[in-house]
Amino acid sequence: MIRGLVFILLFQGMGEIISKALSLPIPGPVIGMVLLLSVLVIRDQLDPDVERVAGAFTQNLGLLFIPAAVGVVMFIPALRVHGLSIAAILLASVALSIAITAITLRLLTPPSSTDHAAPSPESEE
Amino acid sequence: MTGPISTLSQIELGEIWVYLTGSPLLSLILTLAAYQVGLMIYERANKNPFANPVAIAIAIVIATISVIGLPYAKYFEGAQFIHFLLGTATVALAVPIYRGWQLFRQRAAILSAALIIGGLGSIFSAIGLAQLIGLPAELTLPFFAKSVTAPIAMGVAENIGASPTLTAVYAVTTGITGAIIARYILDWLRIRAWWQRGFAIGVAAHGIGTSRAFSVSAEAGAFASIGMGLHGILGAMLIPWLS
Repeated sequence: MIRGLVFILLFQGMGEIISKALSLPIPGPVIGMVLLLSVLVIRDQLDPDVERVAGAFTQNLGLLFIPAAVGVVMFIPALRVHGLSIAAILLASVALSIAITAITLRLLTPPSSTDHAAPSPESEE
Repeated sequence: MTGPISTLSQIELGEIWVYLTGSPLLSLILTLAAYQVGLMIYERANKNPFANPVAIAIAIVIATISVIGLPYAKYFEGAQFIHFLLGTATVALAVPIYRGWQLFRQRAAILSAALIIGGLGSIFSAIGLAQLIGLPAELTLPFFAKSVTAPIAMGVAENIGASPTLTAVYAVTTGITGAIIARYILDWLRIRAWWQRGFAIGVAAHGIGTSRAFSVSAEAGAFASIGMGLHGILGAMLIPWLS
């Protein structure tokens, strides 16, 4: 547990140092993530301890942004005026990005390729 | 007769209260307990995206700090220990991307093309609409990273001068909305293949969409996870340039 945490924190530290030292606009943790991903792909093995710690974080991502998101109370006056427009934009934008991502995939997939597990959509639930 | 005693207990309670609001304990308990309640309600609701645990937790924390009169700055001072872990969680996202790496490599070109088109589409559609309506800049900038997984989105937001708070709120709203409407859009477009459905949800609606995809199909979930992770990397590199 601790070993996995130290390992991940080290990559976070390396990422922060690289981001600051080269004054990159990319956040340090993202650089740390890319470094860790490169190491995992090159070595092609995953330490079970790292896997356990990473699992704990990624399964509870939502918890971590509660403190910042609660700050929305500071924006209530602005959101009273513009909240509906913002909601409408978010809805339209997410619908569009789901659609264009999926359409691109379908257009680029060769017709001969076998799409395994492609049941009728009605069976989704 | 009861006067001195109640005064005494009031002083003691007051002191305990001052101590609690000054220590991180109250904020930490509140945040974790609210999240726990959110998760319980989400489970009870059979993981219905409307009962999103994070949205519930945010509402509980806001209601509680308003009732007890704890200023947000004070709350955040205590809860910043949770907030700090966002960076660590971002690094940890390498693990799910690595797990999907073989799947990604089999279709690398197609998935990359769809990722870039979907990512750019999510940014330009939102920013374009916001400018069309004439939203103030403070409310427009958070749209840039709203389709990126929240831990990365908030880091990017800080770099482009957008409010991390609004970015997180936009991202959660995007995730919930995407998780709810995805199946209708994909059915309407007759997108049948699980890998295509999953990847589209992951790119557009990040973590919340991904957990929805996993609850429907393991293959969709795996591809959603790849879409979410890669969109995180792409967004972090692209958004500082675009904004």
